[in-house]
Amino acid sequence: MANTGSLLAVVFVPLAGAFILPFAGRISVFLRNLLSLIFILVSFACAVKMIPLCLQGQTMQFSLEFPLGFNFILYADSLAVFMAVVSSLLSAIIIIYSFSYIAHYENQNEYYSMVVLFLGAMRGITFSAKLIFLYIFWEITAITSWRLIGFFRGKTDILRADKAFLVTVFGALTMLIGFIAIFQQTGSFDLSVIKEAVRAKPLSNVIIGLILVGILSKSATLPFHTWLPDAGVAPSPVTALLHAAILVKIGLYVFARLFVVNISFGALWQNYLPWIAGISAIISAAAALKETDLKRLIAYSTVSQIGFIFFGLAINNTIGIAGGLLYILTHGLAKAGLFLCAGIIEQNTGTKDITKLGGLIKTMPLTALAFLFCSFSVMGIPPFGGFFAKYLVFSGAISSGRMYVTALFLIGAFMTILYLFRVFSLVFLGENKIEAKEGSWGMVSSVALLAVLSLLSGVLVRYPINFLENFLGRILGAA
Amino acid sequence: MPDKFLQFLVMAPICAGLLALGIPRRLKGFFALLASFAVLAASFLIFGKESSLKLGEIGFGIALNFRLYHFSSFIVAAVSAFTFFSALYCLSFFNKNNNPRQFHAYLLLSLGFTNGAVLADNLVAMLFFWEGLLLVLFALISQSGSNAAFKTAIKAFVIVGISDLCMMAGIALTGRLAGTLNITEINLMPQGLAGIAFILLVIGAISKAGAMPFHTWIPDAAVDAPLPFMAYFPAALEKLLGIYFLSRICLDLFKLQAGSGLSVLLMSLGAITIILAVMMALVQKDYKRLLSYHAISQVGYMILGIGTALPVGIVGGLFHMLNNALYKSCLFFTAGAVEKETGTTDLAKLGGLFRKMPFTFISFSIAAVSISGMPPFNGFFSKELIYDAALERGMIFYLAALVGSFFTAASFLKLGSAAFLGQSRQEHKEVREARPTMLIPMITLALICILFGIFNNLAIKKFFQPVLLGGLQSNHFFDFHTNITLVVITLLVLLGAFIHHLIGVKINGSGLKAVDHIYHFAPFHKIYVWQEKKYFDPYEIAIKLGRRISDLLWRIDRMIDWVYDSLVTGLVYTFSRTIHRLHSGYYVVYLIWALAGAFLVMLFAFK
Repeated sequence: MANTGSLLAVVFVPLAGAFILPFAGRISVFLRNLLSLIFILVSFACAVKMIPLCLQGQTMQFSLEFPLGFNFILYADSLAVFMAVVSSLLSAIIIIYSFSYIAHYENQNEYYSMVVLFLGAMRGITFSAKLIFLYIFWEITAITSWRLIGFFRGKTDILRADKAFLVTVFGALTMLIGFIAIFQQTGSFDLSVIKEAVRAKPLSNVIIGLILVGILSKSATLPFHTWLPDAGVAPSPVTALLHAAILVKIGLYVFARLFVVNISFGALWQNYLPWIAGISAIISAAAALKETDLKRLIAYSTVSQIGFIFFGLAINNTIGIAGGLLYILTHGLAKAGLFLCAGIIEQNTGTKDITKLGGLIKTMPLTALAFLFCSFSVMGIPPFGGFFAKYLVFSGAISSGRMYVTALFLIGAFMTILYLFRVFSLVFLGENKIEAKEGSWGMVSSVALLAVLSLLSGVLVRYPINFLENFLGRILGAA
Repeated sequence: MPDKFLQFLVMAPICAGLLALGIPRRLKGFFALLASFAVLAASFLIFGKESSLKLGEIGFGIALNFRLYHFSSFIVAAVSAFTFFSALYCLSFFNKNNNPRQFHAYLLLSLGFTNGAVLADNLVAMLFFWEGLLLVLFALISQSGSNAAFKTAIKAFVIVGISDLCMMAGIALTGRLAGTLNITEINLMPQGLAGIAFILLVIGAISKAGAMPFHTWIPDAAVDAPLPFMAYFPAALEKLLGIYFLSRICLDLFKLQAGSGLSVLLMSLGAITIILAVMMALVQKDYKRLLSYHAISQVGYMILGIGTALPVGIVGGLFHMLNNALYKSCLFFTAGAVEKETGTTDLAKLGGLFRKMPFTFISFSIAAVSISGMPPFNGFFSKELIYDAALERGMIFYLAALVGSFFTAASFLKLGSAAFLGQSRQEHKEVREARPTMLIPMITLALICILFGIFNNLAIKKFFQPVLLGGLQSNHFFDFHTNITLVVITLLVLLGAFIHHLIGVKINGSGLKAVDHIYHFAPFHKIYVWQEKKYFDPYEIAIKLGRRISDLLWRIDRMIDWVYDSLVTGLVYTFSRTIHRLHSGYYVVYLIWALAGAFLVMLFAFK
C-alpha cells in the first residue's frame, strides 16, 4: 500500500501541475519552466521507483468508489511502468529543449501547461484499469494536441490542427462504441472483469474492429495516417512529443494493454492486422522518399516505423511482442532526436525544404552527428538500440511463420535506409546554400543526449530486454 | 587463460579505438600501431587453442558467447596482422597536409568488430559485430569529408546494409529452424525453408566479401577513400571475414552438398564474378580502380572453390582467401606508394618508375605474378586447387576460371608496364623510393607470398586442412597432388597472356594501350560503354526502380489524403448546404416534411 503514493504521484503530479503553470508563468518565466520540468521529473522518478517491484512480479492498484460502476481504478504493472518510464524520460528531454526553442514565441504559458497536461493525460491512459477513464484521458490528449498543433495560430496551422483532432476523435468515438459494446457483453468497464468474461465468450470481430479504428487513427496508421505529416506545422518540440515520443504510442500502448495483456485477439484480425501495418509501412516509406519537407518526411518515417511496432505486437508471440515494446523505446529516443534536429535546422536556417538546404555538416557538425546517430538507430544498425528491436520483431514474425508479411517488412526496412540517407545527404552534404550557425547550447545538448541514449539503448540492451522477458514470461505464461 | 585473451581480442581494439578518437592527432598513428601490435601478439599466443567464453545471456536466445577454435583463431591472427601492417603503412602515408582525422581510430574499431564477429558463437552476437562494421565502413570511406566521398560512403552503406538486413532475416529463420542461435549447435540441411535461410545468409557473406552483384561501391571507393582503406578493408579484412563466414555457412551451419542446386548457384555466381570483374579490370586506366576490380574478381575464385562443396575446392578457396589478402594488400600498398610519390594514379601520367622505386617495383612484381597464378608463388597453388575442384564439377566452371586467369595476367602486364616500365617522365624527376615504414609492410607481404608458395604444403596443412575436420566426413583432403595436365594448361594460358601482351604493345603502341583492341572489339565495346554509363550498376538500377515504385505508392498516399481533405469535407459541406436550402422558411415545405415523416413513422409502426 506504501506504493499507492508513487502511483498517484505519477499520474496526478503532471495532471494537476498543468493548471498551476499558467499562474506560475505570471510570476516568473524561470519558475514556470523549472516547475514544468520538476513535474515531469517527479513523474519519471516515481515510475522508475516502481521498476524493482515490477521485476518481482508485483502490481499496484488504487481505487476510488463512484456510483453507477464508474469506479476510478489505477493499476500499475510492468507494461504500464515501462511505458511511463519511456514517455516521461522523453518528455523531460523535450521540455529541456523547449526552454530555448519556445522562448522566441508567444503563448508560452499555454504551451507548457498543455505539454504537461498532455503528459498527465497520457499517464492516465497508461495506468487506467477502466475503459471509460481510458477513453476520457484519451480525449484529453486529443484536445491538448489540437491546441499544440495549432500553436502558431496561422490559418493552415488551425486547419491542420482541426484535421488531426477530427480524425483522432472520429476514431476515439468509434472506439467508444466498441467499449460500450464490451460493456453490453460483459457488464463492466473494468479490465480485470472483462478479462475473465471474454475468456468464456470471446469478443466479436466487429467489436475488435471498432476499437482498432480508434487505435489506428491515434497511432497514425494507414488509412488514418495523413493527419500526422500534416501536423508538422506545429513547433518542433511538439512534433517530437506528438509524433515520435508519446501521442502515436498511445494507440500502440492501448493495443498492448487490451489485446496482448487482457483480451485474446480474434484470428481474423491476427491475419489482417500485420498486412495493414505492412502496407502502411511501405506506403509511408515511399512517401518519405518523395517528400521534400523535412518535418513531414520524418513524420512519414514515423508512420512507417509504427507499422513495424504494430507488426511486432500483432504477431502474438513473446519475441515479437518484446520486439514491438523495445521498438517503442528505441524508436522514441531516435525519432525524438530526429525531430529535434529538424527543429534546430528549421530555426537556424528558416526553412524546412530539404531541396533548399545543404552542406550543413560544416556549420552544424554536432547536429549532423546526432542526426546521423539517430538515423542509424532507426535503420536498425548495431550497436544502436534499433538493431535489437528490429531483429526481435523479425525473429518473432519468422517464428510465427508469416513469411510473406515479413518479406514486405524487409522491403520496408530497405526503404528506411534509403530515405534516411536521402534526407541526410540533402540536408547535410553538398553545397552550403544557406548560412547557418549551430543551435543553442540547450538544444544541441538535448539532441546529443538523445543520440547517446540511442547508442546506450543498444549497448545496454540487456536491461530492457530482461525487463520485458520477465514481464512477458509472466503474463503470457499465465494466460 | 585463453578466456582472458578472448575478451582482450574483442574489447581491447574497441576500447583502444574509442580512446584513439580523443587523443591528439600526432599520437594517433603510434597509438594505433602499438594497440594493433598488442592484439597481434595476443592472437599469436592463442593461435590454434580451443576455448569458449560466455559473457552472459541477453534474452530470447541472444547471448554473448565466444568460441575460439582453430579456424577462428587463424582468421583473428590474419586480421590482426593486416591491421598492424596497415597501421605501420599509415605512419608515413598520412602526413600533415593529408591526415584524415580519425582513420586510426576506425582502424582499431574495425579490428575489434571483426574479431567479435569471427569469434562470436551466437548468430545474433555475430550479426551485432558484423553489422556494426557498417558504421566503420561508412566512417572510413567518408574520411576525406568531400561530397564525393560521402556519396560513395552512402552507396557502400546502402548496398552492404541491405544485404545485412537480408542476413538478419536469414539468422532469424535459421534460429527458428534450428531451435537455437548458438552456431556450434546448428546443423541443418539446406532444403525448403532452410534453403531460403541459406541463401539469405550467403547474401550477407558474399556482399561483405564484395562479390557481384554487391560490388559496385568498391571501384568508387578506390577513387574517393583514403588508400590504406582499400588495402585494408576490401582487400584484406572484408575478404577474410566474408569468406570465413561463407565457409562456416557451407560447412557448419548447413551441409552444402556437392551437386545440389545451391552449390551450382554459388559456383555460377563465382564464375560470373570472375569473368565480368576481370573484364572491367582489364580496361581501367587508373592504378587503384584497376586493382579494385581485381579485388572483386578474386572473390569469384573463392566462392567458386567453396561452392564446389568438394574438400579440394574448399581448401583451395580458403587458401586463395589468404593469398588474395596478401598480394592484394601488397598491390594496394604499392599503389599508395606511387600515389604518394608522384601525386597521381592515372596510368597515362605514370611510367618508368622502376628506376626510381625499385623496391616498390619488386614488391609489385611479386604480388602481380602471385595474383596471376604463376608458379612457384602462392596464387598458383590455391588456383590449381580451385581448378581441380571446378573441373570435377563441370568443364564450364573450369573454363571460366581459366579465362579469368588469362585476363588477370593480361591486365597486370598492362598495369606493370604502364606504371613501372617505359620512359620515365620529366615531372617525376624528384620522385624517390617510398619511406621505410611503407616499404616494410609491402616487402613483408611480398615475401610471405613467396613463402606460402614454396611451403604451400605446410600452409595448407597447418591452416586450412583442420577446418574440414568434423565438417566433411567423407574423402579426406590429401596432400597437394600435382595434376600435370592442369599445370601445363595453366602455364600455357599464362604464356598466352604474355604473348598477347607483346602483340598488344606492338599493335597499339604502348603498354598502357596493350589491351585496347579488346575494349574496341565490337561485341564488347557496347557493353563497356554501357557499363561506364552505370547501366549495370545494381545500385543505380535499384535506386531508379525504388523511385518508380515510391512514385506509385506516394500517389496512393495522396489519394487517401485527398479523401480526407476534399471528399469528406466536400460531402459534409454539400450535405449541410442541402439541408440549409431546405430550411427555406416556407410553411408548405416544412408541412410536406412533417407529413412525410409522420407517414414514415406510421408505416414503421403499423407494419
